Amino acid sequence: MRDADRAKDKQLATTEALVKTQDTVLIALFAALIVVLSLAPPIPLPGIPVPVTLQTLGIMLTGAMLGPRRGGLACLLYLVLAAVGLPVLPGGRGGFGVFFGPTGGFLVGMVFGACVTGWLARRLVRAPAQGTRAVVAYAVACLVGGVGVVYLVGIPWLAVVTQMAWGKAALAVLVFVPGDLVKVAVAAWVAWRVERVWPVLRESP
Amino acid sequence: MLEPLYIPGDRGLHRLPAGYKLTVLVAAGIGLFFVERLWGLLAAFVIAGMLVWSTGVGMAACWRQVRGLVWVLLAVGVFAVIFQGWMPAAAVLLRIGALVGLALAVTLSTRTSDLMAACERALLPFERLGWVNAGNVALALALTLRFVPEIWRHYQDIREAQAARGLARHPVALMVPLVVRTLKRAQQVAQAIDARRG
Repeated sequence: MRDADRAKDKQLATTEALVKTQDTVLIALFAALIVVLSLAPPIPLPGIPVPVTLQTLGIMLTGAMLGPRRGGLACLLYLVLAAVGLPVLPGGRGGFGVFFGPTGGFLVGMVFGACVTGWLARRLVRAPAQGTRAVVAYAVACLVGGVGVVYLVGIPWLAVVTQMAWGKAALAVLVFVPGDLVKVAVAAWVAWRVERVWPVLRESP
Repeated sequence: MLEPLYIPGDRGLHRLPAGYKLTVLVAAGIGLFFVERLWGLLAAFVIAGMLVWSTGVGMAACWRQVRGLVWVLLAVGVFAVIFQGWMPAAAVLLRIGALVGLALAVTLSTRTSDLMAACERALLPFERLGWVNAGNVALALALTLRFVPEIWRHYQDIREAQAARGLARHPVALMVPLVVRTLKRAQQVAQAIDARRG
């Protein structure tokens, strides 16, 4: 009886360890994915003046795929790598300087952005999701989290560092909005397609 | 791939402990926002520049770090001159320049491993509270560094494969296999780690 209990306890502990290990590994590998997407050459889009890096696409996908907790932690891990001096930001930049610069808020905002994207995606997309509805729901999550929240942190930060008025700071980043909207569409589409082939992600938050 | 920005050296800034440098950096980051006088900001900017120079960094490496910032600063400068005048514009640019310079000097003169160790020490109080598990954090950091080259290779493979199908510029055709491969690999790695842990 005792032995049976102990065996069961051990089995339960192993299952728990597996879930935890898998969470850690997922967080790490998605942080690595964000690094790869940040370093990949930017894609020129027709009609959009600024080059579009895939970095924010990675943030949205990480949130949508991993959910709020793991998604936010993956982005945080990515920022830690940048802060300790690895060239993981677009253009091979890194180090503490980027956080003190005018665009530092857009980096810090990504952690919250991924959290909100993940939270909304879990709320809005019901499994088993139907095609159009799921894509639209993912798009809303990516738009609010990956664009809205990121700008909500980034614009005040830009305004404080450069001592601009908030409205003018918002005006200054307007050129990036079209590219971000394209990325929202791509992220939503990809998230839906991936979920159809890999539905196990929903099991934990 | 992923060469740290650290420049080897054994004088001046290189000798200071990482935690000390980080504390000064954060203090300077807050303090400089209270400096309004132009000459004060100019002095800070010159000191930051001298500190960056003292790390022995090459021009090319330095330029790669500030290249992205130049356009942002140019836009900020033009905005500030138009709406606030010359003096506030100069103050804003000098302040940003000084902050970025100081941060760059710390990054260039401190080993990545030392910075990570300083981060781990900063996490210690949170671990006592039971909020984080230092072992998991270390595992995650190591795994990320280990898997960046592999995922980069997947990215190249998939891009070539899709280009052969005429989908070179199709972001969905690139991203779906990349994310699925990453998920699949994560599952394998997690199982392998748990199998070894017993």
